[in-house]
Amino acid sequence: MSFESDLLALLPRLRRFAASLSRDRADGDDLCQAALEKALRARDQWQPGTRLDSWMYRIMRNLWIDEGRSRQRAARTFAPEEAGEHIGHAGDRDVEAHVMLSDVDRAMQSLPDEQREAIALVLVEGLSYKEAAEILAIPMGTLTSRLVRGRGALIELLGEAA
Amino acid sequence: MTDIDEATLIAWVDGELDEVTRRRVDRAVAEDAALAARLDMHRRLRERLSGHYAPIEAEPVPPSMRALLKEEERVVPLRPRASRWRSWGTGAAIAASLVLGLGIGRLASDPVGPVGVRSGVMVAQGPLASALETQLASAQESAPLRIGLSFQRKGGGWCRSFEGEAASGVACRGEHGWKVEQLVPGSGQSGAYRQASSADSRVMATVEALMASAPADARQEAEARAKGWR
Repeated sequence: MSFESDLLALLPRLRRFAASLSRDRADGDDLCQAALEKALRARDQWQPGTRLDSWMYRIMRNLWIDEGRSRQRAARTFAPEEAGEHIGHAGDRDVEAHVMLSDVDRAMQSLPDEQREAIALVLVEGLSYKEAAEILAIPMGTLTSRLVRGRGALIELLGEAA
Repeated sequence: MTDIDEATLIAWVDGELDEVTRRRVDRAVAEDAALAARLDMHRRLRERLSGHYAPIEAEPVPPSMRALLKEEERVVPLRPRASRWRSWGTGAAIAASLVLGLGIGRLASDPVGPVGVRSGVMVAQGPLASALETQLASAQESAPLRIGLSFQRKGGGWCRSFEGEAASGVACRGEHGWKVEQLVPGSGQSGAYRQASSADSRVMATVEALMASAPADARQEAEARAKGWR
């Protein structure tokens, strides 16, 4: 197995992780594409014998954090910016697309980044606490407290039926 | 009363407890209905989240991402579908642009459109009907119409999501063919990947609303096809 074929095999999981971090599927795929490009450019930095999935999760997560500021800026000016992107749709499409987001998407979006990434790695990707803490470069105790707080918020948002 | 805190309950659900602690939690839960309810709540939350994002992992990877890794694909076909892809020769980027660019014309010029109306119901016909009936999601990268997910709907019966240049959507197999449950503009309407993905989220929402449990894997899909999706 080569670097590229290993990456190819990981792609479905990486797309899932990107989607759980992002506002919607389109943003998720943009993030995934960017992470792939970055990984291909930085392939010399990956050490064979170490976990490629952890390395990729880390690259993607760091890209996502880096984009955080522009993402927040975009969120504040959401309507005008999006309307400008789709001239001729008068923004209706985006309103519709936004409404189509499920409860889970919305609840995940409302979490602070540090809780969302912890939830995504452990609950969505199914990583162990040790693996997730390593990817996020935080102590286990910090990870578990973020998992507790994030879950509390999700349960509140999603209601008893969670 | 017990001394089991939230972090310990959560660690139980995440499979992170050692044997001794896990048994201690099990005993406490057996004696404390409120604690049992909280444990159950955390378990359901985890199931709901992982179930929500699981279908994404089962989807075919977008051609734009495959294109990035195309060099390798030509050398080492990973799966049967890689060799089909290879027949495009110059690679996924060009193949993708062909699908997006020329594919619209191809579908539009088909004598039979992808969707017709029968007894007041939208049904798949022509190329869409045959793709739904015969195409396996696990082997189709170069097909003009691609199948996303195959799954059983709540209440029984097979449904499949599809993605094409002209239209994407979800169809379910009925007595006399594939009833189209949802139809949205396909990836070819704008030629932009971004829009292709936005259509995805609408289709995925429908899939999620219809799906009984989880999407079929390659084996289940092949079995369902062999049984005519009944």
